[in-house]
Amino acid sequence: MGTPSPYCTIGPFFPTQFADECDNLTQFEGKTARGQHIVLKGRVVEDGNVPVGNAILEIWQADANGIFRHPLDPRCSEADPGFFGWGRARTDAQGRYCFRTVAPGSYGERRPHINMMVLAIGLTRRLVTTVFFTDSLGDIEDPVVSSVPEAARRRLLAVRDKSLDAAGVEGYRFDIVLRGENETPFFVD
Amino acid sequence: MSSFEYLPYDDGTQLARQIEGYPRSFTRTPAQPLIRRPTTLSELTGPTGLERKLKIGFEDGRRAMGQLIGVEGRVADEDGAPVANAVIEIWQANSAGKYIHELDRHEAPIDPNFTGQGRVLTDAEGHFQFQTIKPGAYPVMESDWWWRPPHIHFSIFGPSWLNRFVTQVFFPGEPLNAMDLLLNGVKDPEARERLIFRAEATSVGAVNMLKFRRDFVLRGRHRTPALD
Repeated sequence: MGTPSPYCTIGPFFPTQFADECDNLTQFEGKTARGQHIVLKGRVVEDGNVPVGNAILEIWQADANGIFRHPLDPRCSEADPGFFGWGRARTDAQGRYCFRTVAPGSYGERRPHINMMVLAIGLTRRLVTTVFFTDSLGDIEDPVVSSVPEAARRRLLAVRDKSLDAAGVEGYRFDIVLRGENETPFFVD
Repeated sequence: MSSFEYLPYDDGTQLARQIEGYPRSFTRTPAQPLIRRPTTLSELTGPTGLERKLKIGFEDGRRAMGQLIGVEGRVADEDGAPVANAVIEIWQANSAGKYIHELDRHEAPIDPNFTGQGRVLTDAEGHFQFQTIKPGAYPVMESDWWWRPPHIHFSIFGPSWLNRFVTQVFFPGEPLNAMDLLLNGVKDPEARERLIFRAEATSVGAVNMLKFRRDFVLRGRHRTPALD
């Protein structure tokens, strides 16, 4: 049967408005998302801690109740009408990105998390990782966390950062190291 | 709901992750091995119905400069089943090899009638089509020799986070194809052909344009049930 088409790099010229119009997930079809609104900010760096500008990040997550807006989710009909669950952002020249979204809910065996992918010049394929929102490493029981070597698990944690708080919005920081010391764990894709 | 499985991409039919002469591929590709993880609902789901969030279509306007082309194709999964209602994002250089982007330093002119970006939706059978201008080649400013052959970028939203897909598609018979680091990053010649448009039969009539076709296969196939 068919062999998957080859992936290729997103390159330097992805239309900026395609990214900039999608970095706020808290509104959908004129409705506001339920749950705790958060900002997720961070920096993308490459080898030598050099910032990666013009990287495109995409995220996919459950709503505040842990429901995905997707037919495979048995609770799909109860998905938050004010939340779509997908977003995209572009890093600035200093490698900084910012999403505004909601704190994802847990469900079943999964702890609250956001799926993230990185596209950039030099990446012929996307890189995929998962961001977790758990206060302490000790209580994480999640099949994706469990697949990661213990020493690297903390690099999957978004860190609560009150300096990023705004009215009613909680700030979290998640830095992405594509290569080098404290490299972010990425998954087979 | 039928059950799907998403096996890892076969490296032999994909671009190499690191390509000699493409420096960023060495500083940005992780040094640590990629980690195998289980696939749960979170990874199996993904953004479907994005046409409710993203504007579909191209900006209307006067005819842009360059060779008018029609591009069509079909998006299917590994079983050949159509991927219906998939949002496809398209972006490309104009006929002079210039993108409308703040980081494009090429001195070629901008065409006021060409934005070089748009979106289409696949139909129930997975088919898509659009009209555009054949893009020009352009120099990679960080290099002292590399010219990118004409190509169109595609970003496709499949039904799962696991088959979100981004690529570039090249034109047949372009002399620059033979030396492009990215196109030739696919070592398997048969797989490389999957990144090149097929020229369709020419015709002269009501709308005069050259036609090109590219089908895409997204990762994903039906799981074969156990026999017990």
